[in-house]
Amino acid sequence: MSSDILLNVEDLVVRFAVKRGRGFGKNAYLHAVDDVNFTVKRGETLAIVGESGSGKTTAALAVARLVNSYKGKVELNGTDLLTLGDEDLRQARAKVQFIFQDPYSSLNPRLRAGDIVREPMESLGSMTEVEKAERIDFLFEAVGLRPEQQRLFPHQFSGGQRQRIGIARALATQPDVIICDEPVSALDVAVQAQILNLLRKLQKDFGLTYLFISHDLGVVQHMCDSIAVMYMGKIVEYGPRLDIFNAPQHPYTRALLSAVPSVDKARRAQTKRILIPGDPPDPVNLPDGCRFANRCPAAQDICRRDEPELSNGVACHFPGAEL
Amino acid sequence: MALLSVKNLRVEIKTRAGVAPVIDDLSFDLEAGESLSFVGESGCGKSMTALALMGLLPEGVGSIAAGSITFDGEELTTASEARLREIRGNDISMIFQEPMTSLNPLFNIGEQIAEVLRAHQNLSRKAAWSQAIELLDAVRIPNAKARVNDYPFQMSGGQRQRVMIAIALACQPKILIADEPTTALDVTVQAQIFDLLQDMQRQTGSSIILITHDMGAVAEMAERMIVMYAGRKAELGPVEDVIAHPRHPYTAGLISCVPHILSTLTEEREELVEVPGIVPALQDFGKDTCLFASRCLQAQAQCLRARPPEIEFGPEHQSACWRAEEL
Repeated sequence: MSSDILLNVEDLVVRFAVKRGRGFGKNAYLHAVDDVNFTVKRGETLAIVGESGSGKTTAALAVARLVNSYKGKVELNGTDLLTLGDEDLRQARAKVQFIFQDPYSSLNPRLRAGDIVREPMESLGSMTEVEKAERIDFLFEAVGLRPEQQRLFPHQFSGGQRQRIGIARALATQPDVIICDEPVSALDVAVQAQILNLLRKLQKDFGLTYLFISHDLGVVQHMCDSIAVMYMGKIVEYGPRLDIFNAPQHPYTRALLSAVPSVDKARRAQTKRILIPGDPPDPVNLPDGCRFANRCPAAQDICRRDEPELSNGVACHFPGAEL
Repeated sequence: MALLSVKNLRVEIKTRAGVAPVIDDLSFDLEAGESLSFVGESGCGKSMTALALMGLLPEGVGSIAAGSITFDGEELTTASEARLREIRGNDISMIFQEPMTSLNPLFNIGEQIAEVLRAHQNLSRKAAWSQAIELLDAVRIPNAKARVNDYPFQMSGGQRQRVMIAIALACQPKILIADEPTTALDVTVQAQIFDLLQDMQRQTGSSIILITHDMGAVAEMAERMIVMYAGRKAELGPVEDVIAHPRHPYTAGLISCVPHILSTLTEEREELVEVPGIVPALQDFGKDTCLFASRCLQAQAQCLRARPPEIEFGPEHQSACWRAEEL
């Protein structure tokens, strides 16, 4: 393992028991994340993209140990986060922080903005009061808020400003990895640009590493260095930014990219829209073979029989097939 | 003559601080079979325009203060409630943003589609029901005959939005207003819905008013667009022209603040252009200045002194900016 790999996720499985058992005492499981592998280099951004229900948020929550994983490894700097307990886990939590999607519901309405940013330092750090106050001042400036705004309550801020508070809170404990779960999808378009620019600036200034969860391919294209595309709990394609966007191999990735409306006339002229009919399969009773086969325009018999493995960055029997 | 003609429309809503014009001197025409798009951030009056056209402004709060809305030669601002009821759902119909909450959870979808047909076309129960099945089939819901008995909770978001489209199109309206029809949906589903709307438009020849904040969607779906800011029309013109050469700094900002997927991506990633600040508060609406000036990088003293007039660029392209000619 090369030393610049900060986060290494191996064979991660997250499953939820669902009530629909077959017979008494027998649980059926929904595999929200199924055998997922990825690595993130220090100072880079990995984006996980997919549609609702693809398991991208669950994978992120599992990395932060906010849901329990069933199997697998999540190594940060060589330590497996999933085996840690008690004090070790508390220490480790300071190294993995989260920016949530909805800035309206992820800030405590009864705390002042300054106290919201202070909270992680109280519970995870070991700083003196003076150091904490200095760090809060520093963070407010870094995210573009004025120092006197520390006295205000969340409802006195606009959506974009609230997301800035959320970002300051995530930075408070000087984490190694910040997980951004759809950080701009609840914001107005003009405000999105402000937050995206801020995130990139902070990454440059502090050498941050992001795990970036999004369904918006335009945003992903702008923010990330590499991309993992998820469908029904599996990574179907995984690779560097330019490869995925300029030469996607998996039919699902290609359909996803072709579905994004574009203002670029040249792109509209040259992309043929690939419509994928129907709905994803029932996640509790997954079909044999490839999970995308029932909607895939290139599917053949083997796709309905054997599940393709991820090799050379794509999990498909016929990568790059004519669609 | 235009199918729908809006002249100097002013819609006011009552707030605790007084009366604020959420739509301020809006004029536009919509031709039969045309697709027109309204773009802007939230709070700019896009949805209010749609509600005003439908006669659905929140009672006691919002009202039309001045101006006229002429549909097919008929004045709508003074029309009776009974007449508006006849028009709504029959000649002008609307698809709402949230397919999750805009269907009635207590009735099966067949009943909800048939209701429109019985109310407006005087069809019998049986005829309405069989037409409901045909409509479900037309919006490409597989196995329509069986699904017609389903309740909304049994369908996915995309399917519910299709049901909404079936309801809206049941009486072959002349105008279909789609208020952010795909915001709550995934991109691949959005592509299916856009595809469906375009097919339907081709078949029925109805006009579409698409309300959205996504410039990409506008570029794919509409022929003309109106950019709204703080209740006013900032720019109006053919989509291609406006995107290629925006004549209002707000339009330019809306286009360049979003990271777009281009035909070929390169290593280079420029900083996004920011539109600093946010939409002004309601009590500032209606002031005799350019309301965008506080966020505009090109603002001059003149912009704060008076509201900019609409400057024409060719017969179809207008922009309300003091510096439009320089842009």
